[in-house]
Amino acid sequence: MKVWQKVLATAAVAGVALSLGACGNGSDKDSSADKSGSKKTVLKVTTWNYATTPEFAALFKAFEKEHPNVDVQQVDVPADDYDTKVTTMMSSGDTTDILTMKNLLSYSNYALRDQLVDLSSHVKDIDQGPAADTYKMYKVKGKTYAQPYRTDFWVLYYNKKLFDAAGIDYPDNWTWDDYVTNAKKLTDASKGQYGTYQHIWRSTIQAIAAAQNDKNLMDPSSYEFMKPYYERALDLQKSKAQMTYGTAKSTKVTYNSQFEESKAAMLYMGTWFMGGLVNDTNSGQTNVEWSIAPMPQKSSNGKTTTFGSPTGFAINKNSKNKKIAQEFLDFCSGEKGAKVMAKIGITPSYRNDAVNKIYFATKGMPTDDVAKKAFNPDKIAVEFPVAKDGPAVDKILQEEHDLIMVGDETPSKAISNMQSRVKEELK
Amino acid sequence: MKRAQHSHFIMQVTSTDEKISKQKHRLQRKNTLIAYSFIAPNFLGFFIFTLIPVVFSFVLAFMSWDSFSTPKFVGLDNFSKMIHDTTFWISFKNTFLYTIGVVPFTLLISLGLAILLNKKLAGVKFFRTAFFFPYVTSLVAIAVVWNMLFHPTMGPINQFLRMFIANPPGWTTSSQWALTAIVIVSIWRFMGYYMILYLAGLQSIPKELYEAASMDGANKWQQFKNVTLPSLRPTTFFVTIMLVINCFKIFDLVQVMTDGGPGRATNVLVYEIYNEAFVKFNFGYASAIAFVLFVIVLGVTIIQFGWNKRQEKA
Amino acid sequence: MEAPATIDVISEHNKKKQRRARINKIILYIALALLSILTLIPFFWMLSASFKTNNDVFTVPIQWIPKTWHPENYSIIWKQIPLATFFKNTIVLSVVITFIQLLTSSFAAYGFSKMHFKGRDTLFLMYIGTIAVPWQSYMIPQFIMMRHLHLTDTLMSLVLLQAFNAFGVFLMKQYYTSIPDELCESARIDGLTEWGIYRRIILPLTKPAIVSLTIITFVNTWNDYMGPFVYLSSTENKTLQLGLKMFVGLYDTQYAYIMAASVLSILPVAIVFLVLQKYFVEGIATSGMKN
Repeated sequence: MKVWQKVLATAAVAGVALSLGACGNGSDKDSSADKSGSKKTVLKVTTWNYATTPEFAALFKAFEKEHPNVDVQQVDVPADDYDTKVTTMMSSGDTTDILTMKNLLSYSNYALRDQLVDLSSHVKDIDQGPAADTYKMYKVKGKTYAQPYRTDFWVLYYNKKLFDAAGIDYPDNWTWDDYVTNAKKLTDASKGQYGTYQHIWRSTIQAIAAAQNDKNLMDPSSYEFMKPYYERALDLQKSKAQMTYGTAKSTKVTYNSQFEESKAAMLYMGTWFMGGLVNDTNSGQTNVEWSIAPMPQKSSNGKTTTFGSPTGFAINKNSKNKKIAQEFLDFCSGEKGAKVMAKIGITPSYRNDAVNKIYFATKGMPTDDVAKKAFNPDKIAVEFPVAKDGPAVDKILQEEHDLIMVGDETPSKAISNMQSRVKEELK
Repeated sequence: MKRAQHSHFIMQVTSTDEKISKQKHRLQRKNTLIAYSFIAPNFLGFFIFTLIPVVFSFVLAFMSWDSFSTPKFVGLDNFSKMIHDTTFWISFKNTFLYTIGVVPFTLLISLGLAILLNKKLAGVKFFRTAFFFPYVTSLVAIAVVWNMLFHPTMGPINQFLRMFIANPPGWTTSSQWALTAIVIVSIWRFMGYYMILYLAGLQSIPKELYEAASMDGANKWQQFKNVTLPSLRPTTFFVTIMLVINCFKIFDLVQVMTDGGPGRATNVLVYEIYNEAFVKFNFGYASAIAFVLFVIVLGVTIIQFGWNKRQEKA
Repeated sequence: MEAPATIDVISEHNKKKQRRARINKIILYIALALLSILTLIPFFWMLSASFKTNNDVFTVPIQWIPKTWHPENYSIIWKQIPLATFFKNTIVLSVVITFIQLLTSSFAAYGFSKMHFKGRDTLFLMYIGTIAVPWQSYMIPQFIMMRHLHLTDTLMSLVLLQAFNAFGVFLMKQYYTSIPDELCESARIDGLTEWGIYRRIILPLTKPAIVSLTIITFVNTWNDYMGPFVYLSSTENKTLQLGLKMFVGLYDTQYAYIMAASVLSILPVAIVFLVLQKYFVEGIATSGMKN
């Protein structure tokens, strides 16, 4: 325990002893893990929306089957406030063994602040296989603190029926100009049908622009490369081929409902939505007939570049079960875990032919060749680089994105604001 | 009263006697002890679970801390950083404008409602409940419904306004109007809450005061001016202070309605504190902003205290 | 002959006065009705959304009356999350915290407003001072303390944090201030102890204040999200608001269910409010001022 923590602790204990007339036994029920007499090792993992994020339960069960003496338990947190809760827990020296890294921003926060076990030497020795590219995304100053189990990247979802009705060929090898032209053609204002839906996240413009122009969003020297991407989006909004940003944001529109209820003919979104779509189709919640295509590209040279980000597990520095925790990480990020996830429509980081086969054999998955091509892009650029000032820069970029999309600032003006504000922040 | 004067008299006469002076001393000490015993149950809990953490966070204002490592003393660095931080100033300005917009209207409306509903009127219970309801309605519903009502093209508010003006405001989707939208929703949400406080205040005014006033021939307005308002002074004082404090602490409504946007148009101080702490891990800097907020609010409160005292004397 | 004429004039005058009073009353009612409808709009929307299918929840323009009714939304949510447990925890928290808060803060307020002792004003300023500090800035130090007491993930932690709120003391103190000091002085001379004054004079006089503190504390505890969010982790300890949030995560697009759960969560608060507000009317009648 650190000195300043001791000060707080003493104050608390002394105070309570005083107020309760020194009843005493405040501190002798220390570890609750081994109280019930069972000899199973309890491995605690932080999760979000456990009931609707199927890979957690699936991975936990599969791991317990291999390790009958381990009991994997979730510490479940509402998704929106996941980072706040985990931060609060960690700051008080919580011993939850495994922390799920929901995104790269929070990963860099915990890794750079020395809260996670350094896995660099271990990761060097294991079979990274097809996940090697994703492992690279977790490198911070030459070290690795987490092992990825799923890698989501962005693809273009489309509604087959709406394409058929408009007499348009399914997307294949599209450029952004093709995307815009066809989105306009697919729009039918009389039925309240939009050609496409673009979600309110800044990634829908900035991350894809950075990926296809080989730029780094942490480098404020020039954000000019975003300009054509913004102009296209504004054009689509103006011609009513896409719901306005203001409406989407203020009425809290969800991309699921826009696509599943055929309100938009296209949607570009991460591969995590495939699992959800398969689920909703199989349970009869939606009757949309869909497939995926690669993201629209800058030019039609046949190469596909998209962006994505990993989800991974990391070990808490304060964990008391580091060895078993390491086994859990290896299991989930390796081929065994990949197969478990592929079965339920989750995109594992470890994707070899055997895993892909299981994935596309899932009932309801699209099986056409374009979909398979979309599932194996030539390049997946990292959504946002791991850096200490990442969250601050992310915030600035989102704020300026906001202003462009509601029409309060022109792209040129906002881009120059981004440059000066990010420079200021990084100074 | 007479007896009080009498005993006062006796005390004065005998005050030269040392023995009695000691007794008086003891009495005073006993009195103080009794006073402490009244305060103690609340104070102990308050001291340990609120005051200590608050003081700790003030100490953090002079430190650099990411919530994990050991805090480092940095002197006034956090405060000098603040001076050059444009986002801080924007959030400061927004909080200030928001407070100016909310406080007077909420004060007037809640007092008006309380006076109207402080009657034995058929259905008065229903009306009181209705005006209190916004305060308990879930934030999710509030965000969704008000954003729909404010919808720039299809929302009922702008459809109504379009009968009079060609280009009604864009409300939550415009950086010029978003703060106004939040102010409107805040007044709507909080008026019932302060109405309750005023109702309780109105109830503690002795009926005799009104009887005496009407016997003196005072009309309704004079009664209101000379009896109601002065008797409500402690309540108004309380309501104003709480309103100002709560306005400076506004957070959740902004979070669910606009998320501080568009851009930074509705970024307020506590929103900025939250960002600095839980998004950027600058707990020291966040504490420094909280400290500034505290100093401002305390300053306003002390001014109000002084004003209140002067009014009481007058 | 003159007398009846004056009577006539007076009764005429009275009639006019009565008529004007009636017209005033009607205007008042219309104004109140319009205002309350305006105020209740989001609640109407919630209620109607809770009976719709999910696809009908977000329609522009707003559909105030559901096209088809789906009361089964209310039974479905009971099966999806342990709503009964959440209700139980929330009730326990709200009742216990409100009770302790009432008791301790009305004591303390008596000390602060009717007794004189050294350091009184400084102490009181500390109370008000902490109200002005946003919780977000001292949330973590507080949490660290609770962890060292081994109280995280217990309802006890929230009771300790919220039952000794400075707000309650401030509120009660302000109402006690409005009671003339002479009342207490003369009681003291009559030989009443401080406890007696508090019990027999102050308490009965400030019933409306106690009622409003009860309502406000109860509602605040009932609707608190951040407190339970930070402190409670296991499902059996969670509260209604956490459950609602969990629900939003579970069914991120199923607004009909979310609204049904929200309506359910409001009902108990509405009942408490309706029951307690009768004391706002009785306050005057039972006031001990006359004695």
